[in-house]
Amino acid sequence: QDKITWRMVTTWPKNFPGLGVGAQRLADRITAASGGRLSVQVYSAGELVPPLQSLDAVIDGTAEMSHGAAYYWQNKSTALSFFTGVPFGMTARELTAWVRYMGGQELWDEIYDQFGVKGFLSGNTGTQAGGWFREELTGLDDIKGLRFRTPGLGGRVWEKLGATVTNMAGGEIFQALQSGTLDAAEFVGPYNDLALGFYQVAKNYYFPSFVEPGLATELVVDKSKFAELPEDLQAIVEFVCAAEYDQVASDFYANDPRALQTLVNDHGVNVRQFPEEIVQAGAQASKELIQELQDSDDDLTQRTTASFLEALKLLRNRTETIDGTFVAARAQYFDL
Amino acid sequence: MRYLGMVAAAISALNAALGAVFAWLSLGIVVVCFSVVVLRYAFATSFVWMQDLYIWLSGAMFTAVGGFALLRDSHVRVDIFYRPASERRKAWVDLIGSVVFLLPFMFVVIAYSWPFVARSWSFAEGSANVGGMPGLFVLKSFILLFAGAVALQGIAMICRSILILGGRGDLVPRRMRYDELAAAEGAA
Amino acid sequence: MDPVLIGELLSGLMFFGIIAFLLLGFPVAFTLAGVSLLFGLVGMAFGVFDPSNFGSLPNRYIGYMTNEVLVAVPLFIFMGVMLERSRIAEQLLLTMGKLFGNLRGGLGISVILVGALLAASTGVVGATVVTMGLISLPAMLRAGYDPRLATGVICASGTLGQIIPPSTVLIFMGDMLSSINSQVQMEKGNFAPVPVSVGDLFAGALLPGILLVGLYTAYTIFKAITDPESCPATPVPADEKRHLPREILVALLPPLLLIIAVLGSILGGIATPTEAASVGAVGAMILAALRWRLSFGVLRETAVATATITSMVFIILFGASVFSIVFRLMGGDNLVHEFLAALPGGRLVAVAMVMAVMFLLGFILDTFEIIFIVIPITAPVLLALDVDPVWLGVLVGVNLQTSFLTPPFGFALFYLRGVAPNSVRTGDIYKGVLPFVVLQIIGIAILFIFPQIVTWLPKVAAG
Ligand code: NA
Ligand code: NA
Repeated sequence: QDKITWRMVTTWPKNFPGLGVGAQRLADRITAASGGRLSVQVYSAGELVPPLQSLDAVIDGTAEMSHGAAYYWQNKSTALSFFTGVPFGMTARELTAWVRYMGGQELWDEIYDQFGVKGFLSGNTGTQAGGWFREELTGLDDIKGLRFRTPGLGGRVWEKLGATVTNMAGGEIFQALQSGTLDAAEFVGPYNDLALGFYQVAKNYYFPSFVEPGLATELVVDKSKFAELPEDLQAIVEFVCAAEYDQVASDFYANDPRALQTLVNDHGVNVRQFPEEIVQAGAQASKELIQELQDSDDDLTQRTTASFLEALKLLRNRTETIDGTFVAARAQYFDL
Repeated sequence: MRYLGMVAAAISALNAALGAVFAWLSLGIVVVCFSVVVLRYAFATSFVWMQDLYIWLSGAMFTAVGGFALLRDSHVRVDIFYRPASERRKAWVDLIGSVVFLLPFMFVVIAYSWPFVARSWSFAEGSANVGGMPGLFVLKSFILLFAGAVALQGIAMICRSILILGGRGDLVPRRMRYDELAAAEGAA
Repeated sequence: MDPVLIGELLSGLMFFGIIAFLLLGFPVAFTLAGVSLLFGLVGMAFGVFDPSNFGSLPNRYIGYMTNEVLVAVPLFIFMGVMLERSRIAEQLLLTMGKLFGNLRGGLGISVILVGALLAASTGVVGATVVTMGLISLPAMLRAGYDPRLATGVICASGTLGQIIPPSTVLIFMGDMLSSINSQVQMEKGNFAPVPVSVGDLFAGALLPGILLVGLYTAYTIFKAITDPESCPATPVPADEKRHLPREILVALLPPLLLIIAVLGSILGGIATPTEAASVGAVGAMILAALRWRLSFGVLRETAVATATITSMVFIILFGASVFSIVFRLMGGDNLVHEFLAALPGGRLVAVAMVMAVMFLLGFILDTFEIIFIVIPITAPVLLALDVDPVWLGVLVGVNLQTSFLTPPFGFALFYLRGVAPNSVRTGDIYKGVLPFVVLQIIGIAILFIFPQIVTWLPKVAAG
């Protein structure tokens, strides 16, 4: 039987904690599970194409797979943001519930059909950190004019709160933060942020990121090449992605708190919660943004928003009344 | 032979026009980037679209004037043997180089960029940055403009080579003549 | 035959094939791409290269066209060209010459200082040497300088300008080394690498640049003492002397302050290189306007020169992309990796090896071509061997500069020959640069022994 080799481009650096490692492990698992019949060769960010051109590389046939985050392609369809996560949106568990059981995957397929590709959920960072701030925040007034590096829809939320939001290349963040070109920067969470050394120049680490409550990663495949695969290989790709979603989420869940311990104990980082006023205003701004999506002229964006909101309404009820009350109860009464 | 001269002249005029127009984008880059700096440092405000704009202006500029740079012979050559060579020899080098290197390169760029650019048009792709510039498809189209303009200038160079090798160097349009180019370089 | 072996063999052949074809003299950017395409075809025939990989070309190009860091390139070029076309640079040079004119060797020292700081913000060595040859050489010859000393000073300081910030070469190097470094560190499992930025490269290059300027100056002073005939003083007439304080205030200080402010804000971390460059470009226009030199003609010339130089550089990058795709995917990267990692003697030998190759390439190629081809292939291996990225970048710069100066092939010499009057013999140029080549070698040796000269300032700037 023929051996097939596929190229996977990723938006992450090789070995990037959690995400880059996850992409490599996903490739290795497909190769192993198929007994080498489908072997996947990983090209990390910039090796074959610049990181933010990964999806185009698959569409153009330069690669068969791309590992990244769907919201990087929001300029291809605004609706794609929902499959990574939106401000004040779904947690990691809620997102899989929507995608797998409540119509999410169908809409996602419809969006990606236009480009001849198909997406699978392939990982989740869990709720991210809100960012590194040079100064402690006391209220909304501190946000006005704050120079903050935070991309995507989250950036729009902070902009509405009065921050001066900048897009800055990854390599420039540290120096900019250090010199005061930036007052604050947001990246992922402790597991990744520890690596970038922000703790050396900003001591206030704020939680949680209400704009990124659960960043999901995706594996995109060339749809027609995927359809040509024998059924068992198709199933392997799909199952490995499902397994990886959980694996990556567990990796972050275990290692974020460890990294945070290091940051606090060894580097004197102050872990803080955003002041109520900021969270409230953030929620209001997020609402406005999602309403804009709901009122979009684009039919698919409109339908995706509607489906997302409908699912969220049901899911949050479960999360808040069952998980939430339990977590609150455990925090209050149980210490061992 | 006369037609070759006319083709070369027409292409050169086109690229000269492209150069004259798009060179001004450099001033645009300066003005927009400086405005971003002033807004950020003096007024503590910023617009993502402006941060996109000056970057895009740069990308549009250096692609659009690619053919013009070739017309002016601004692309770096390895000079050791070329510079002291006779006109006929230069004509041979430019003929072979255009046919074997330049045109295939531009063909590959066009062939692989066409679907890429067409797709971008089909959904009016905008900036990847939320709140950024609309019209990324226009910027992407500059890759085709670049390849087209350079390929045309390559054809003009082929015409020049044939004219010179055919003993009709007098039909080569003025702005493409080797002696004129050398003189312009000396004055630069 | 093993396909891996075929691929590696072809990629090795391609490297030498390109060099051979480049000697024809067809523009480098297109030769690079064209020869790589031909080898890609051969690789296809042997089944070791998949043409669908060329689909990554438009993706790479749009990546360069939307790269924030690289926008500093046209901005610095604009600033440099504006200062040159509005003749502010020339005036700076002349005033500086008058300031030191009463000293023997004074004019030479002015040329070294101004040339190093200003001339190569454009980064194109050929153009820089041509410009300085046209402005400074006649002045020095008129003053009665030995043509050998005059041409040596011009070639050395003209090429040094590409290392001393502001420098577009360092911008590209910083952009490449920053991403290669983070990749390599992650790969090694170092999740807390110290990031490398363009600003670091600027900071790292400053002291070595000053060191070389110091060596050149010391040599000129040495000549002034031992061989006064070679660099006579150019006494300023009494009536001009009266105007000198005013001239210093008007012609010398403003552009000098502008350049220092731009560099200072980058090194001090107040602004990114791109932001600072835009301020520099606007500042240059204001200086020109204050002297009634900001005519439409000057503005247009500046715009056209900025656009063509930028285009020329980026199109080399486009051509180098084709090379890098074919080379990497046929296995050339592995070949280089295995070779460098297997060298006995560890990282310093590996660095020396890469430097030697670059030095030889420097005889025929300009800086951009060399760094676009060689850095992506070799830097990942060298950085994995714990070579400091900023030190590597600066060393590459000084090494290439030495190559450009070394007779008989050093190509800065060809350019100067092209614009020097016939009274200056080619032999004079060769003899003139030789002492500077020796100074370069001393400089490189010092950087090898005391790498802190490079690494100290970026650390201090980083707090
Ligand atoms: Na984030
Ligand atoms: Na310089």
